[in-house]
Amino acid sequence: MNPMIRKELRQRMRERRAWILPTLYLGVLGGVVALTYYVSTEGSFESAFRPARDIQGSAIGAAVFLAVIMSQLALLMLLAPIFSAGAITIEKEQRTLAGLLTSLLTPFQIWAGKFTAAMMFLVLLLISSVPVLALCFSLGGVGWSDVAAAFGMTLAILASIGAIGLYCSSYFRRSVHSTAVCYAVVIAISVLTAIAAYMLASSWQARHPVTQAAQIQPNPPGYLMAPLYLNPFYALISVFAPREGKVPTWAKCLALFLAMTVLFSLLAIQNIKRRGEQA
Amino acid sequence: MIEATDLRKQYRSTAALDGFSLRVEAGEIVGLVGPNGAGKTTLIKILATLLRHDSGRAAIAGHDVVGQPRAVRAVLGYLPDVPGLYSDMRVAEFFEFFADAFHIKGGRRAAAVERALARSGLSARRDEFVEHLSLGMKQKLVLARTLLHEPRVLLLDEPATGLDPLARIELRELIKALNCEGVTILISSHILSDLEDICTRIVLISAGRNITDDAQLASGAPNKTLVCEIEFLGDADAVLQSVRAAAAARVVNSSGQHVRVEVQGGREEASALLRFLVGQGVRIVRFDPREASLEDRYREVFGGPAA
Repeated sequence: MNPMIRKELRQRMRERRAWILPTLYLGVLGGVVALTYYVSTEGSFESAFRPARDIQGSAIGAAVFLAVIMSQLALLMLLAPIFSAGAITIEKEQRTLAGLLTSLLTPFQIWAGKFTAAMMFLVLLLISSVPVLALCFSLGGVGWSDVAAAFGMTLAILASIGAIGLYCSSYFRRSVHSTAVCYAVVIAISVLTAIAAYMLASSWQARHPVTQAAQIQPNPPGYLMAPLYLNPFYALISVFAPREGKVPTWAKCLALFLAMTVLFSLLAIQNIKRRGEQA
Repeated sequence: MIEATDLRKQYRSTAALDGFSLRVEAGEIVGLVGPNGAGKTTLIKILATLLRHDSGRAAIAGHDVVGQPRAVRAVLGYLPDVPGLYSDMRVAEFFEFFADAFHIKGGRRAAAVERALARSGLSARRDEFVEHLSLGMKQKLVLARTLLHEPRVLLLDEPATGLDPLARIELRELIKALNCEGVTILISSHILSDLEDICTRIVLISAGRNITDDAQLASGAPNKTLVCEIEFLGDADAVLQSVRAAAAARVVNSSGQHVRVEVQGGREEASALLRFLVGQGVRIVRFDPREASLEDRYREVFGGPAA
Protein backbone atom coordinates (compact mmCIF):
# COMPACT_ATOMS: atom_id res chain seq x y z
CA MET A 1 0.00 0.00 0.00
CA ASN A 2 1.21 3.51 -0.84
CA PRO A 3 2.61 4.83 2.48
CA MET A 4 1.14 8.25 1.73
CA ILE A 5 -2.38 6.81 1.62
CA ARG A 6 -1.90 5.05 4.98
CA LYS A 7 -0.45 8.19 6.54
CA GLU A 8 -3.17 10.47 5.18
CA LEU A 9 -6.04 8.22 6.22
CA ARG A 10 -4.58 7.77 9.70
CA GLN A 11 -4.11 11.51 10.17
CA ARG A 12 -7.51 12.36 8.71
CA MET A 13 -9.39 9.95 10.96
CA ARG A 14 -7.62 11.43 14.00
CA GLU A 15 -9.01 14.88 13.29
CA ARG A 16 -12.02 16.04 15.26
CA ARG A 17 -13.85 16.79 12.02
CA ALA A 18 -13.72 13.06 11.20
CA TRP A 19 -16.81 12.59 13.37
CA ILE A 20 -18.21 16.12 13.51
CA LEU A 21 -18.64 16.45 9.73
CA PRO A 22 -20.54 13.16 9.17
CA THR A 23 -22.81 14.06 12.09
CA LEU A 24 -23.62 17.49 10.68
CA TYR A 25 -23.91 16.12 7.15
CA LEU A 26 -26.42 13.44 8.11
CA GLY A 27 -28.30 15.95 10.26
CA VAL A 28 -28.72 18.27 7.29
CA LEU A 29 -29.74 15.42 4.97
CA GLY A 30 -32.27 14.21 7.54
CA GLY A 31 -33.71 17.74 7.63
CA VAL A 32 -33.95 17.80 3.85
CA VAL A 33 -35.85 14.50 3.84
CA ALA A 34 -38.29 15.74 6.48
CA LEU A 35 -38.84 19.04 4.70
CA THR A 36 -39.32 17.45 1.27
CA TYR A 37 -41.71 14.89 2.66
CA TYR A 38 -43.65 17.63 4.39
CA VAL A 39 -43.82 19.81 1.27
CA SER A 40 -44.67 16.97 -1.11
CA THR A 41 -47.58 15.88 1.05
CA GLU A 42 -49.41 19.22 0.48
CA GLY A 43 -47.46 21.08 3.05
CA SER A 44 -49.57 20.45 6.14
CA PHE A 45 -48.27 18.70 9.20
CA GLU A 46 -51.43 16.66 9.49
CA SER A 47 -51.34 15.51 5.89
CA ALA A 48 -47.72 14.54 6.24
CA PHE A 49 -48.87 11.56 8.26
CA ARG A 50 -52.02 11.00 6.27
CA PRO A 51 -51.15 11.83 2.65
CA ALA A 52 -53.94 12.92 0.35
CA ARG A 53 -55.28 10.09 -1.76
CA ASP A 54 -54.28 11.63 -5.07
CA ILE A 55 -50.58 11.70 -4.12
CA GLN A 56 -48.78 8.50 -5.01
CA GLY A 57 -46.13 7.16 -2.63
CA SER A 58 -43.81 6.74 -5.62
CA ALA A 59 -44.10 10.46 -6.42
CA ILE A 60 -43.14 11.32 -2.87
CA GLY A 61 -40.28 8.83 -3.03
CA ALA A 62 -38.96 10.36 -6.26
CA ALA A 63 -39.26 13.89 -4.84
CA VAL A 64 -37.42 12.95 -1.66
CA PHE A 65 -34.77 11.12 -3.67
CA LEU A 66 -34.13 14.10 -5.96
CA ALA A 67 -34.03 16.50 -3.02
CA VAL A 68 -31.59 14.27 -1.16
CA ILE A 69 -29.17 13.70 -4.05
CA MET A 70 -29.16 17.40 -4.98
CA SER A 71 -28.62 18.49 -1.37
CA GLN A 72 -26.00 15.80 -0.98
CA LEU A 73 -24.15 17.08 -4.04
CA ALA A 74 -24.31 20.67 -2.79
CA LEU A 75 -23.02 19.67 0.66
CA LEU A 76 -20.22 17.48 -0.70
CA MET A 77 -19.18 20.21 -3.14
CA LEU A 78 -18.85 22.54 -0.17
CA LEU A 79 -16.80 19.96 1.73
CA ALA A 80 -14.55 18.77 -1.11
CA PRO A 81 -12.31 21.89 -1.12
CA ILE A 82 -11.79 21.55 2.65
CA PHE A 83 -10.29 18.10 2.16
CA SER A 84 -8.38 18.72 -1.05
CA ALA A 85 -7.36 22.38 -1.26
CA GLY A 86 -5.37 22.27 1.96
CA ALA A 87 -3.82 18.85 1.44
CA ILE A 88 -0.46 19.92 -0.01
CA THR A 89 -0.35 23.47 1.35
CA ILE A 90 -0.48 22.01 4.87
CA GLU A 91 2.76 20.15 4.08
CA LYS A 92 4.28 23.47 2.99
CA GLU A 93 2.94 25.32 6.03
CA GLN A 94 4.23 22.76 8.52
CA ARG A 95 7.50 22.44 6.54
CA THR A 96 7.13 18.71 5.92
CA LEU A 97 7.07 18.82 2.12
CA ALA A 98 10.90 18.76 1.90
CA GLY A 99 10.92 15.46 3.81
CA LEU A 100 8.49 13.94 1.31
CA LEU A 101 10.22 15.30 -1.77
CA THR A 102 13.65 14.10 -0.67
CA SER A 103 12.37 10.60 0.10
CA LEU A 104 11.86 7.91 -2.52
CA LEU A 105 8.17 8.75 -2.81
CA THR A 106 7.30 9.82 -6.35
CA PRO A 107 5.24 12.97 -7.00
CA PHE A 108 2.48 10.63 -8.21
CA GLN A 109 2.54 8.70 -4.92
CA ILE A 110 2.33 11.94 -2.95
CA TRP A 111 -0.57 13.13 -5.10
CA ALA A 112 -2.30 9.73 -4.96
CA GLY A 113 -2.09 9.67 -1.15
CA LYS A 114 -3.65 13.11 -0.87
CA PHE A 115 -6.30 12.45 -3.54
CA THR A 116 -7.30 9.06 -2.16
CA ALA A 117 -7.59 10.38 1.40
CA ALA A 118 -9.76 13.30 0.26
CA MET A 119 -11.96 11.05 -1.86
CA MET A 120 -12.23 8.33 0.79
CA PHE A 121 -13.73 10.77 3.25
CA LEU A 122 -16.19 12.07 0.66
CA VAL A 123 -17.10 8.48 -0.25
CA LEU A 124 -17.62 7.76 3.46
CA LEU A 125 -20.07 10.67 3.64
CA LEU A 126 -21.76 9.51 0.45
CA ILE A 127 -22.18 5.97 1.76
CA SER A 128 -23.37 7.21 5.13
CA SER A 129 -26.36 8.75 3.36
CA VAL A 130 -27.58 5.37 2.09
CA PRO A 131 -29.85 4.81 5.12
CA VAL A 132 -31.42 8.20 4.46
CA LEU A 133 -32.03 7.23 0.85
CA ALA A 134 -33.51 3.91 1.99
CA LEU A 135 -36.59 5.88 2.93
CA CYS A 136 -37.16 6.51 -0.77
CA PHE A 137 -37.22 2.76 -1.43
CA SER A 138 -39.94 2.33 1.14
CA LEU A 139 -42.00 4.94 -0.70
CA GLY A 140 -41.26 3.54 -4.15
CA GLY A 141 -40.56 5.34 -7.42
CA VAL A 142 -36.80 4.87 -7.11
CA GLY A 143 -34.68 1.87 -7.98
CA TRP A 144 -31.16 0.78 -7.09
CA SER A 145 -30.04 1.70 -10.60
CA ASP A 146 -31.14 5.32 -9.99
CA VAL A 147 -29.15 5.41 -6.77
CA ALA A 148 -26.09 3.88 -8.46
CA ALA A 149 -26.31 6.35 -11.37
CA ALA A 150 -26.65 9.31 -9.00
CA PHE A 151 -23.76 8.13 -6.85
CA GLY A 152 -21.59 7.51 -9.91
CA MET A 153 -22.14 11.00 -11.31
CA THR A 154 -21.71 12.56 -7.86
CA LEU A 155 -18.39 10.76 -7.46
CA ALA A 156 -17.19 11.92 -10.88
CA ILE A 157 -18.07 15.52 -10.00
CA LEU A 158 -16.38 15.26 -6.59
CA ALA A 159 -13.29 13.71 -8.15
CA SER A 160 -12.93 16.67 -10.49
CA ILE A 161 -13.38 19.16 -7.62
CA GLY A 162 -10.89 17.15 -5.57
CA ALA A 163 -8.40 17.26 -8.45
CA ILE A 164 -8.91 21.02 -8.84
CA GLY A 165 -8.45 21.46 -5.08
CA LEU A 166 -5.22 19.47 -5.13
CA TYR A 167 -3.98 21.47 -8.10
CA CYS A 168 -4.65 24.73 -6.21
CA SER A 169 -2.94 23.20 -3.18
CA SER A 170 0.13 22.28 -5.21
CA TYR A 171 0.28 25.77 -6.73
CA PHE A 172 -0.26 28.07 -3.75
CA ARG A 173 1.85 28.34 -0.60
CA ARG A 174 -0.98 28.91 1.85
CA SER A 175 -4.14 26.90 2.48
CA VAL A 176 -6.30 30.02 2.73
CA HIS A 177 -5.43 31.10 -0.83
CA SER A 178 -5.74 27.62 -2.24
CA THR A 179 -9.12 27.02 -0.58
CA ALA A 180 -10.47 30.42 -1.66
CA VAL A 181 -9.55 29.79 -5.31
CA CYS A 182 -11.02 26.28 -5.18
CA TYR A 183 -14.31 27.64 -3.82
CA ALA A 184 -14.29 30.29 -6.56
CA VAL A 185 -14.01 27.48 -9.14
CA VAL A 186 -16.84 25.54 -7.47
CA ILE A 187 -19.06 28.64 -7.57
CA ALA A 188 -18.05 29.33 -11.17
CA ILE A 189 -19.02 25.89 -12.41
CA SER A 190 -22.22 25.79 -10.33
CA VAL A 191 -23.55 29.29 -10.94
CA LEU A 192 -21.70 30.97 -13.80
CA THR A 193 -22.26 28.06 -16.19
CA ALA A 194 -26.02 28.26 -15.56
CA ILE A 195 -26.01 32.04 -16.08
CA ALA A 196 -23.91 31.69 -19.24
CA ALA A 197 -26.26 29.05 -20.69
CA TYR A 198 -29.32 31.14 -19.82
CA MET A 199 -27.84 34.25 -21.45
CA LEU A 200 -26.81 32.38 -24.58
CA ALA A 201 -30.28 30.82 -24.90
CA SER A 202 -32.04 34.16 -24.27
CA SER A 203 -29.88 35.92 -26.80
CA TRP A 204 -30.60 33.19 -29.37
CA GLN A 205 -34.33 33.38 -28.70
CA ALA A 206 -34.28 37.15 -29.08
CA ARG A 207 -32.79 36.68 -32.52
CA HIS A 208 -35.35 33.96 -33.37
CA PRO A 209 -38.75 35.37 -32.40
CA VAL A 210 -41.96 33.37 -32.57
CA THR A 211 -43.27 33.32 -36.13
CA GLN A 212 -46.95 33.59 -36.90
CA ALA A 213 -46.76 30.43 -38.99
CA ALA A 214 -45.13 28.33 -36.28
CA GLN A 215 -46.88 29.90 -33.29
CA ILE A 216 -44.38 28.31 -31.01
CA GLN A 217 -40.98 29.39 -29.74
CA PRO A 218 -38.26 27.23 -31.39
CA ASN A 219 -35.83 25.50 -29.05
CA PRO A 220 -32.28 26.88 -29.08
CA PRO A 221 -29.67 24.56 -30.61
CA GLY A 222 -27.99 22.11 -28.25
CA TYR A 223 -24.49 23.62 -28.48
CA LEU A 224 -25.75 26.77 -26.74
CA MET A 225 -26.35 24.62 -23.67
CA ALA A 226 -22.70 23.46 -23.68
CA PRO A 227 -21.73 25.52 -20.58
CA LEU A 228 -24.29 23.48 -18.65
CA TYR A 229 -22.32 20.30 -19.28
CA LEU A 230 -19.88 21.66 -16.71
CA ASN A 231 -22.65 22.41 -14.24
CA PRO A 232 -22.66 19.75 -11.50
CA PHE A 233 -26.39 19.99 -10.80
CA TYR A 234 -27.28 19.80 -14.48
CA ALA A 235 -24.92 16.84 -14.84
CA LEU A 236 -26.61 15.04 -11.95
CA ILE A 237 -30.12 15.69 -13.25
CA SER A 238 -29.06 14.62 -16.74
CA VAL A 239 -28.60 11.08 -15.43
CA PHE A 240 -32.41 10.78 -15.17
CA ALA A 241 -33.26 12.72 -18.36
CA PRO A 242 -34.64 10.82 -21.37
CA ARG A 243 -31.99 10.10 -23.99
CA GLU A 244 -31.73 12.61 -26.85
CA GLY A 245 -29.34 12.24 -29.77
CA LYS A 246 -26.52 9.77 -30.30
CA VAL A 247 -24.58 10.64 -27.16
CA PRO A 248 -26.68 11.07 -24.02
CA THR A 249 -26.21 14.33 -22.11
CA TRP A 250 -25.02 12.55 -18.98
CA ALA A 251 -22.21 10.94 -20.99
CA LYS A 252 -21.04 14.34 -22.27
CA CYS A 253 -21.09 15.72 -18.72
CA LEU A 254 -19.30 12.67 -17.34
CA ALA A 255 -16.63 12.90 -20.05
CA LEU A 256 -16.04 16.57 -19.24
CA PHE A 257 -15.72 15.96 -15.50
CA LEU A 258 -13.40 13.01 -16.04
CA ALA A 259 -11.29 15.08 -18.46
CA MET A 260 -11.04 17.84 -15.84
CA THR A 261 -10.00 15.27 -13.23
CA VAL A 262 -7.23 13.91 -15.46
CA LEU A 263 -6.04 17.36 -16.56
CA PHE A 264 -5.84 18.87 -13.06
CA SER A 265 -4.29 15.69 -11.65
CA LEU A 266 -1.49 15.83 -14.22
CA LEU A 267 -0.95 19.53 -13.54
CA ALA A 268 -0.86 18.92 -9.79
CA ILE A 269 1.70 16.12 -10.17
CA GLN A 270 3.85 18.40 -12.35
CA ASN A 271 3.57 21.12 -9.70
CA ILE A 272 4.60 18.77 -6.89
CA LYS A 273 7.63 17.83 -8.96
CA ARG A 274 8.60 21.46 -9.53
CA ARG A 275 7.66 23.13 -6.26
CA GLY A 276 10.79 22.26 -4.31
CA GLU A 277 11.41 25.95 -3.62
CA GLN A 278 8.19 26.02 -1.59
CA ALA A 279 9.39 23.09 0.52
CA MET B 1 31.21 12.56 -3.31
CA ILE B 2 29.59 16.01 -3.66
CA GLU B 3 30.30 17.94 -6.82
CA ALA B 4 29.03 21.35 -7.86
CA THR B 5 30.43 22.92 -10.99
CA ASP B 6 29.68 26.50 -12.02
CA LEU B 7 26.20 26.42 -10.51
CA ARG B 8 23.94 29.35 -11.29
CA LYS B 9 20.50 30.04 -9.90
CA GLN B 10 18.55 33.23 -10.42
CA TYR B 11 15.50 34.35 -8.41
CA ARG B 12 13.97 37.10 -10.54
CA SER B 13 16.66 39.83 -10.49
CA THR B 14 18.76 38.26 -7.72
CA ALA B 15 21.51 35.76 -8.40
CA ALA B 16 21.35 33.27 -5.51
CA LEU B 17 24.22 31.26 -6.99
CA ASP B 18 26.64 32.89 -9.38
CA GLY B 19 28.99 30.24 -10.72
CA PHE B 20 29.46 28.34 -7.46
CA SER B 21 31.84 25.38 -7.59
CA LEU B 22 32.68 22.88 -4.87
CA ARG B 23 34.11 19.41 -4.58
CA VAL B 24 33.76 17.36 -1.39
CA GLU B 25 35.67 14.10 -1.21
CA ALA B 26 34.33 10.96 0.47
CA GLY B 27 34.76 11.05 4.24
CA GLU B 28 35.09 14.84 4.52
CA ILE B 29 33.06 17.10 6.79
CA VAL B 30 32.87 20.42 5.02
CA GLY B 31 31.46 23.53 6.68
CA LEU B 32 29.64 26.01 4.49
CA VAL B 33 30.00 29.49 5.90
CA GLY B 34 28.66 32.81 4.71
CA PRO B 35 26.35 35.65 5.67
CA ASN B 36 22.57 35.43 5.34
CA GLY B 37 21.50 35.49 1.70
CA ALA B 38 24.89 34.25 0.48
CA GLY B 39 23.28 31.23 -1.23
CA LYS B 40 23.92 28.46 1.32
CA THR B 41 20.34 27.18 1.52
CA THR B 42 19.88 27.47 -2.25
CA LEU B 43 23.01 25.37 -2.80
CA ILE B 44 21.89 22.74 -0.30
CA LYS B 45 18.39 22.62 -1.79
CA ILE B 46 19.85 22.10 -5.27
CA LEU B 47 22.06 19.28 -4.00
CA ALA B 48 19.03 17.79 -2.20
CA THR B 49 17.11 17.71 -5.55
CA LEU B 50 14.53 20.20 -4.26
CA LEU B 51 15.52 23.06 -6.53
CA ARG B 52 16.64 23.14 -10.14
CA HIS B 53 19.66 25.21 -11.01
CA ASP B 54 19.66 27.36 -14.14
CA SER B 55 23.04 26.16 -15.36
CA GLY B 56 26.07 24.22 -14.24
CA ARG B 57 26.22 20.69 -12.87
CA ALA B 58 25.64 19.14 -9.48
CA ALA B 59 26.15 15.51 -8.53
CA ILE B 60 26.01 13.38 -5.39
CA ALA B 61 27.97 10.12 -5.33
CA GLY B 62 28.33 10.40 -9.09
CA HIS B 63 24.57 10.78 -9.70
CA ASP B 64 23.41 13.95 -11.41
CA VAL B 65 20.84 15.74 -9.20
CA VAL B 66 18.65 16.61 -12.19
CA GLY B 67 19.06 13.49 -14.31
CA GLN B 68 19.02 10.88 -11.52
CA PRO B 69 17.18 12.46 -8.57
CA ARG B 70 15.95 9.11 -7.16
CA ALA B 71 19.48 7.68 -7.13
CA VAL B 72 20.61 10.83 -5.32
CA ARG B 73 17.78 10.62 -2.75
CA ALA B 74 18.62 6.99 -2.03
CA VAL B 75 22.11 7.92 -0.78
CA LEU B 76 21.33 11.34 0.63
CA GLY B 77 20.09 12.54 4.01
CA TYR B 78 18.81 16.11 4.06
CA LEU B 79 18.06 18.11 7.19
CA PRO B 80 16.42 21.43 6.29
CA ASP B 81 16.95 24.66 8.22
CA VAL B 82 13.40 24.55 9.59
CA PRO B 83 12.49 20.87 9.68
CA GLY B 84 8.81 20.02 9.84
CA LEU B 85 7.08 17.29 11.80
CA TYR B 86 3.73 15.57 11.77
CA SER B 87 2.58 16.52 15.24
CA ASP B 88 -0.49 14.25 15.05
CA MET B 89 1.62 11.13 14.49
CA ARG B 90 3.09 8.90 17.16
CA VAL B 91 6.89 8.74 17.35
CA ALA B 92 7.12 5.15 16.05
CA GLU B 93 4.55 5.85 13.32
CA PHE B 94 6.66 8.78 12.19
CA PHE B 95 9.71 6.57 11.70
CA GLU B 96 7.62 3.78 10.14
CA PHE B 97 6.20 6.21 7.58
CA PHE B 98 9.64 7.38 6.50
CA ALA B 99 10.95 3.80 6.46
CA ASP B 100 8.15 3.03 3.99
CA ALA B 101 8.87 6.24 2.08
CA PHE B 102 12.47 5.03 1.60
CA HIS B 103 11.26 1.56 0.58
CA ILE B 104 12.86 -0.12 3.61
CA LYS B 105 11.02 -3.42 3.84
CA GLY B 106 10.65 -6.52 5.98
CA GLY B 107 13.10 -7.10 8.82
CA ARG B 108 15.20 -4.11 7.74
CA ARG B 109 12.20 -1.86 8.36
CA ALA B 110 11.73 -2.93 11.96
CA ALA B 111 15.49 -2.71 12.56
CA ALA B 112 15.68 0.76 11.01
CA VAL B 113 12.79 2.00 13.17
CA GLU B 114 14.35 0.57 16.35
CA ARG B 115 17.71 2.11 15.43
CA ALA B 116 16.08 5.49 14.85
CA LEU B 117 14.21 5.24 18.16
CA ALA B 118 17.45 4.43 19.95
CA ARG B 119 19.40 7.16 18.16
CA SER B 120 16.80 9.78 19.05
CA GLY B 121 16.58 8.48 22.63
CA LEU B 122 12.83 8.09 22.23
CA SER B 123 12.47 4.30 22.57
CA ALA B 124 10.50 4.71 25.78
CA ARG B 125 8.24 7.32 24.20
CA ARG B 126 7.53 5.49 20.95
CA ASP B 127 3.74 5.67 21.41
CA GLU B 128 3.62 9.34 22.33
CA PHE B 129 2.36 11.92 19.90
CA VAL B 130 5.10 14.06 18.35
CA GLU B 131 3.37 17.26 19.49
CA HIS B 132 4.06 16.32 23.12
CA LEU B 133 7.86 16.26 22.63
CA SER B 134 10.15 19.13 23.64
CA LEU B 135 11.97 21.17 20.98
CA GLY B 136 15.24 19.31 21.61
CA MET B 137 13.47 15.96 21.34
CA LYS B 138 11.84 17.04 18.10
CA GLN B 139 15.23 18.03 16.70
CA LYS B 140 16.61 14.59 17.61
CA LEU B 141 13.56 12.99 16.03
CA VAL B 142 14.15 14.84 12.76
CA LEU B 143 17.84 14.02 12.76
CA ALA B 144 17.11 10.34 13.40
CA ARG B 145 14.58 10.42 10.54
CA THR B 146 17.27 11.93 8.26
CA LEU B 147 19.56 8.99 9.11
CA LEU B 148 16.84 6.33 8.89
CA HIS B 149 17.89 4.99 5.47
CA GLU B 150 21.61 5.11 6.35
CA PRO B 151 22.63 7.78 3.84
CA ARG B 152 26.21 8.01 2.58
CA VAL B 153 26.00 11.77 2.21
CA LEU B 154 24.45 14.22 4.66
CA LEU B 155 23.36 17.76 3.90
CA LEU B 156 22.72 19.64 7.12
CA ASP B 157 21.30 23.16 6.89
CA GLU B 158 21.67 24.95 10.23
CA PRO B 159 21.22 21.75 12.27
CA ALA B 160 21.97 23.38 15.62
CA THR B 161 19.21 25.97 15.42
CA GLY B 162 17.15 25.96 18.61
CA LEU B 163 19.32 23.40 20.40
CA ASP B 164 20.49 23.94 23.97
CA PRO B 165 24.26 23.68 24.67
CA LEU B 166 24.08 20.02 25.71
CA ALA B 167 22.08 19.06 22.65
CA ARG B 168 24.60 20.96 20.51
CA ILE B 169 27.44 18.96 22.03
CA GLU B 170 25.51 15.73 21.37
CA LEU B 171 24.93 16.80 17.80
CA ARG B 172 28.63 17.51 17.29
CA GLU B 173 29.53 14.09 18.68
CA LEU B 174 26.94 12.43 16.47
CA ILE B 175 28.28 14.18 13.37
CA LYS B 176 31.82 13.10 14.24
CA ALA B 177 30.63 9.52 14.83
CA LEU B 178 28.79 9.44 11.52
CA ASN B 179 31.89 10.75 9.79
CA CYS B 180 33.92 7.97 11.38
CA GLU B 181 31.41 5.53 9.84
CA GLY B 182 32.31 7.00 6.43
CA VAL B 183 29.43 9.44 5.94
CA THR B 184 30.37 12.52 3.91
CA ILE B 185 28.86 15.68 5.38
CA LEU B 186 28.20 19.17 4.09
CA ILE B 187 27.03 21.37 6.92
CA SER B 188 25.88 24.97 6.85
CA SER B 189 25.93 26.83 10.14
CA HIS B 190 26.42 30.23 11.70
CA ILE B 191 27.92 28.66 14.83
CA LEU B 192 31.55 28.97 13.76
CA SER B 193 33.04 27.39 16.87
CA ASP B 194 31.04 24.20 16.21
CA LEU B 195 32.20 24.09 12.60
CA GLU B 196 35.78 24.68 13.66
CA ASP B 197 35.50 21.73 16.02
CA ILE B 198 34.06 19.19 13.61
CA CYS B 199 34.89 20.20 10.05
CA THR B 200 37.84 18.96 8.07
CA ARG B 201 37.49 21.95 5.75
CA ILE B 202 35.64 25.24 5.57
CA VAL B 203 34.14 26.71 2.41
CA LEU B 204 33.27 30.40 2.32
CA ILE B 205 30.31 31.51 0.24
CA SER B 206 29.40 35.07 -0.60
CA ALA B 207 26.93 36.43 -3.16
CA GLY B 208 26.53 32.95 -4.60
CA ARG B 209 30.23 32.35 -5.20
CA ASN B 210 32.77 30.11 -3.52
CA ILE B 211 35.24 32.68 -2.23
CA THR B 212 37.43 30.28 -0.26
CA ASP B 213 40.27 30.58 -2.77
CA ASP B 214 39.90 34.38 -3.06
CA ALA B 215 39.98 34.71 0.72
CA GLN B 216 43.07 32.55 0.91
CA LEU B 217 44.78 34.64 -1.77
CA ALA B 218 43.84 37.89 -0.04
CA SER B 219 45.24 36.73 3.28
CA GLY B 220 48.26 35.00 1.80
CA ALA B 221 46.97 31.51 2.71
CA PRO B 222 47.13 28.51 2.22
CA ASN B 223 50.29 29.12 4.32
CA LYS B 224 49.63 29.02 8.05
CA THR B 225 48.51 32.32 9.53
CA LEU B 226 48.96 33.54 13.08
CA VAL B 227 47.14 36.43 14.69
CA CYS B 228 49.22 38.43 17.20
CA GLU B 229 47.58 40.58 19.83
CA ILE B 230 50.12 43.27 20.77
CA GLU B 231 49.83 45.77 23.62
CA PHE B 232 52.41 48.52 23.83
CA LEU B 233 53.36 51.79 25.49
CA GLY B 234 54.04 55.06 23.71
CA ASP B 235 52.92 56.66 20.45
CA ALA B 236 50.47 54.45 18.57
CA ASP B 237 51.19 55.95 15.14
CA ALA B 238 54.89 55.22 15.45
CA VAL B 239 54.19 51.64 16.53
CA LEU B 240 51.78 51.08 13.64
CA GLN B 241 54.39 52.44 11.26
CA SER B 242 56.92 49.96 12.64
CA VAL B 243 54.48 47.05 12.31
CA ARG B 244 53.71 47.98 8.72
CA ALA B 245 57.41 48.04 7.98
CA ALA B 246 57.80 44.45 9.21
CA ALA B 247 57.93 41.65 6.65
CA ALA B 248 55.03 39.12 6.52
CA ALA B 249 52.91 41.19 8.91
CA ARG B 250 49.60 42.91 8.25
CA VAL B 251 47.66 45.15 10.60
CA VAL B 252 44.15 43.75 11.02
CA ASN B 253 42.93 46.50 13.32
CA SER B 254 44.11 48.74 16.10
CA SER B 255 42.68 50.79 18.95
CA GLY B 256 44.56 52.85 21.53
CA GLN B 257 47.58 50.95 22.80
CA HIS B 258 46.53 47.72 21.13
CA VAL B 259 47.14 46.36 17.66
CA ARG B 260 46.07 43.13 16.05
CA VAL B 261 48.51 41.82 13.47
CA GLU B 262 48.26 38.91 11.07
CA VAL B 263 51.55 37.13 10.52
CA GLN B 264 52.13 34.82 7.57
CA GLY B 265 53.84 31.71 8.83
CA GLY B 266 54.27 30.07 12.21
CA ARG B 267 55.90 30.82 15.56
CA GLU B 268 59.29 31.53 13.94
CA GLU B 269 57.81 34.41 11.95
CA ALA B 270 55.98 35.68 15.04
CA SER B 271 59.22 35.62 16.99
CA ALA B 272 60.95 37.50 14.16
CA LEU B 273 58.23 40.14 14.30
CA LEU B 274 58.68 40.54 18.04
CA ARG B 275 62.47 40.92 17.63
CA PHE B 276 61.93 43.42 14.82
CA LEU B 277 59.55 45.57 16.87
CA VAL B 278 61.81 45.51 19.93
CA GLY B 279 64.68 46.46 17.66
CA GLN B 280 62.60 49.39 16.40
CA GLY B 281 62.27 50.58 20.00
CA VAL B 282 58.63 49.60 20.50
CA ARG B 283 57.89 49.08 24.22
CA ILE B 284 55.81 45.89 24.19
CA VAL B 285 53.86 44.84 27.30
CA ARG B 286 51.99 41.89 25.75
CA PHE B 287 52.68 39.82 22.64
CA ASP B 288 50.19 36.97 22.16
CA PRO B 289 50.45 34.96 18.94
CA ARG B 290 47.76 32.38 18.22
CA GLU B 291 46.39 30.57 15.19
CA ALA B 292 43.74 32.52 13.27
CA SER B 293 40.31 31.17 14.25
CA LEU B 294 37.45 30.68 11.84
CA GLU B 295 35.84 33.68 13.48
CA ASP B 296 38.93 35.77 12.67
CA ARG B 297 38.84 34.57 9.11
CA TYR B 298 35.11 35.20 8.83
CA ARG B 299 35.48 38.70 10.25
CA GLU B 300 38.31 39.42 7.86
CA VAL B 301 36.45 38.19 4.79
CA PHE B 302 32.94 39.41 5.54
CA GLY B 303 33.77 42.38 7.78
CA GLY B 304 32.38 43.05 11.25
CA PRO B 305 33.60 44.37 14.59
CA ALA B 306 37.03 43.41 15.86
CA ALA B 307 37.34 41.06 18.79
